[in-house]
Amino acid sequence: MSSQILRTLRIVLMVMVGLFFLFPLLWVVLMSFMTNVDILRSPPSPFFVPTLRNYVALISGHLSTSSGDVQIDYMHNLLNSVILSVCSVVVSLILGVPAAYAFARYKFRGGEDMAFTLLSFRFAPPLLVLLPLLGYFQTLHLYDTYFGLVWVYQLITLPLVLWIVRGYFEDVSEDIELAYRLDGHSWLATFFKISIPLARPGIAAAGLLSFIFAWNNFIFALILGSSAVQPVTVGALAFITASGIEYGQIAAALVLSVIPTLVLAIFTQRYLVEGLSLGAIKG
Amino acid sequence: MSTLTLSELSKVYPGSNERSVDDVSMAIKDGEIIALLGSSGCGKTSTLRMVAGFESVTSGTIRLGETVINRLKPSERNVAMAFEGYALYPPLKVRDNIAFSLLRGRTAKAEIDKRVNAVSDMLELGPMLEKFPPNLSGGQQQRVSLARALVRDASAYLLDEPMSQLEPQLRALLRARIKDHMTLHRMTTVIVTHDQTEAIALSDRVAVMDNGVLQQFGTPDDLRERPANLFVASFIGEPPMNLYTAEVADSELVVLDERGQPAFRIPCQPGEFAGRRRLSIGIRPHRVHLGDANGADDASGAAAGSAVLRGEVLSNHWLGDHSHAGIGIGGCFLIAVADRHVDARVGSQAVLRIPRGAIHIFDEETGLAVAHGLRS
Amino acid sequence: MAYLSIETISKAYRKNEVIRDLSFEVERGEFLVVFGPSGAGKTVLLRLIAGMVLPDRGRVVLDGADITRDAPDQRDIGMAFQNFALYPHMTAYENIASPLRSRGMARAELDSRVHGAANLLRIDHVISHLPKALSNGQKQRTALARALVGEPSVLLLDDPLRNVDAKVRYEMRLELPRLLRERDTTVIYVTQDYKEAMALGDRIAVLGDGAFTQIGSPEMIYNRPANSRIARLFGDPPINLLDAQREDSNALRIASNSVALPTRTSNSAVSSCVVGIRPEDVAVSLEAVPGAVPVEIDAVTPLNDRQVMLLRADDGTEIFASRPQADQLAQHDGAEQRGRRRAWASLDLDRAHFFDKSSGGRLLEPSPRMAEAAR
Repeated sequence: MSSQILRTLRIVLMVMVGLFFLFPLLWVVLMSFMTNVDILRSPPSPFFVPTLRNYVALISGHLSTSSGDVQIDYMHNLLNSVILSVCSVVVSLILGVPAAYAFARYKFRGGEDMAFTLLSFRFAPPLLVLLPLLGYFQTLHLYDTYFGLVWVYQLITLPLVLWIVRGYFEDVSEDIELAYRLDGHSWLATFFKISIPLARPGIAAAGLLSFIFAWNNFIFALILGSSAVQPVTVGALAFITASGIEYGQIAAALVLSVIPTLVLAIFTQRYLVEGLSLGAIKG
Repeated sequence: MSTLTLSELSKVYPGSNERSVDDVSMAIKDGEIIALLGSSGCGKTSTLRMVAGFESVTSGTIRLGETVINRLKPSERNVAMAFEGYALYPPLKVRDNIAFSLLRGRTAKAEIDKRVNAVSDMLELGPMLEKFPPNLSGGQQQRVSLARALVRDASAYLLDEPMSQLEPQLRALLRARIKDHMTLHRMTTVIVTHDQTEAIALSDRVAVMDNGVLQQFGTPDDLRERPANLFVASFIGEPPMNLYTAEVADSELVVLDERGQPAFRIPCQPGEFAGRRRLSIGIRPHRVHLGDANGADDASGAAAGSAVLRGEVLSNHWLGDHSHAGIGIGGCFLIAVADRHVDARVGSQAVLRIPRGAIHIFDEETGLAVAHGLRS
Repeated sequence: MAYLSIETISKAYRKNEVIRDLSFEVERGEFLVVFGPSGAGKTVLLRLIAGMVLPDRGRVVLDGADITRDAPDQRDIGMAFQNFALYPHMTAYENIASPLRSRGMARAELDSRVHGAANLLRIDHVISHLPKALSNGQKQRTALARALVGEPSVLLLDDPLRNVDAKVRYEMRLELPRLLRERDTTVIYVTQDYKEAMALGDRIAVLGDGAFTQIGSPEMIYNRPANSRIARLFGDPPINLLDAQREDSNALRIASNSVALPTRTSNSAVSSCVVGIRPEDVAVSLEAVPGAVPVEIDAVTPLNDRQVMLLRADDGTEIFASRPQADQLAQHDGAEQRGRRRAWASLDLDRAHFFDKSSGGRLLEPSPRMAEAAR
């Protein structure tokens, strides 16, 4: 009897908490199907005539506002985001995973200091780093290039990969690697066939987090790139037009920009869970 | 000190349909040392935790003396417990860890010191009294945890795997000292362990559990000589009992090997197992007399009441004060233990004499004991 | 010439010498057990031989070739670990096949060898499972199959039965020698269980403080231990080490009692020493026996069908005695067996060892009776 009440209460509470946290997201999704008029109506109402106008505008690149047509380049921004994030993560993994292995397995002079220095990039406010960087970038002709941005994104993604993956490598028993070596396999084969697969959940987690951080970066791209390479985070500024803020399009842009991350997260989940179920890495 | 009585005690964990402890009843006498023995998940720890008050009782009663303690808080039960994970207080010195429960009461300072010193002498903890638990090895921490329980004046003592980590060189000594201490002070004690040697060494009676069910509750001699079922027979003893399947023939038991082929025969009285086709038989390694192939050994007189078998020596391990020999008979493998250095070379022939009284018969399906010893 | 020889090898970690000038030789087909308490450097020694750790000094020579600096994969050594070290993302089959895959073996032969090894270790029914689905016993069998399948020149077994339950451990103790002898494998087996060492070893090397303190057959180690520390490591309950003073030419004073010395020792220079006497050589009687030490039986703790008794002499000296359960001490006409009882302990000094009080070193050769067995 009392447990019945408790159970009901628990469900009610959980729904309330869920609503509280999911409401902003839900509202954004609804907004993306509204016209600006619907959005700005007071009091706000969840009942309206849905429209695809926002999406059409984004995809076609023509935005008609009260003060005339505006050209926007949102799809190009989206492509930039994908290019920048994917490249940053790939570069980080290629550089970071072997480095993480080295930090985990071999104790060498200054190793700890080096690892810590890499992490310390995350301590400084990005603006502090950015202004001098801008000078260098212009001299080196890296300003407004993918290469330059991917490079500077390493400040965000590389420490993340390094520190997360290192922990996973430390959890892989050295005995397992030794056993594989004694089976007659080379060092390189052991790294690829044993160490990497066993640290895969960590690599997946680090990759996913890096992707999200890279994807959401705003300030680096705003300052070190022009419209040619700017990602969605910066591109969304275009919706603040002379005639007002296009809330509907911002919402639709948001929904579109969430999709790649979401897809990646779902894809990665398999590996994250695999880590939990393999379990006996240590023994 | 007092008696401890469990009546029809059961435990069902929330969200589970199975009884982790199933209808366990046992009466522990005042001052008796008993062991709850079983492999992990058999319900022994759940039983102990119910007695301690850390787990609620699903049904049944626990009595300490005449008082039903089912619903009392752990602190109100006056039981002392040593935890498997030690549960020492890291910021306190070993001395204060041991004295902790006494400090809470109104024991005089001098008396506390005296008792702490006595128990730490017993457990060889003297040099560690002023150290902190994190600086001790696992075995040392376990001894501190034990000392903390033993130093108390409690109605009952509950020890969860109390000696699993002890240093091998100290184990025999501490087992004996602790047993002496508990006997001398008539401490009612329940020891939970998975190690049958520990249970047998320490306890007056041993309760063997499997799947939440009490399999047998008896003295070490009972478990060795009169195991209630196949589970107990295979759990007790190192090396464990030799177990085989046998077919009942007219006046003999035909013992089968792993593939079901006849391996050897043991004569029995005609009709001794009438109505049964197959049986399980068990032979304790320690009761097998091992002679060489010539048969010229001291057991010839006893041979009248024994089954005589011949086999090939497959292994012969001398362990100092006794030897273990592995003998192949037909397709069966039998382990024999002798209290001396056995000369039998691997590959040689050996004659075995098994006293008829040492052959245990179990029902093949239920596993329950049918007879301990063949009629002669 | 020996098959595998370790020549004055040393290894230090941060100035702490774990292995110090250690040398030994193993013959082809020999089963050598390295025995020592935890922290004695056993694991480091195996890693030196496996090539996972490089020595600071010294050489490792296998079949005439110096392999000291060879990488692990070039050494032709098989190894099984205490924690199994199976590859968790590969099935038991793939685990076992791993040493064969590295040689690029043809599929048909590989398959038959893997199944052969799995059959031998009786894990053929679980061969397609991942390690997490195996019991500890099966895990260790898989690890052993993997170590054996490539037929390595030397097999290193690092306490392989530590993490399996008592029953499986006992089974494997019987099974291992047969498996290995068939293949004539050279084995170095590390353990801290003296029974395993005695049951399995052709020879036992006792490791203490980074160096071997004694190498010899199990009989040798048990019946003629080089010092009192080694004597204490073999036997359960451990050997009694009793302080003794010379009383006169025929007797020692032990536990405030006079105990007769056997004739062979009466003329020797033994004065005050430590007498090592094994529990099975202490006879206990409930009636007074001339020359026996009066004691109380403090506790009886049965151990594997032996009756182990802790005796306390009147001066507090603790003495262990053990005897087969079959001729256990008569119970006092049905009276309760618990609690302390008066008894008399006869110490058979003819079977005792005499050790130096300060160094612990052996003072006298054992009696001919025991020397016989120690050969």
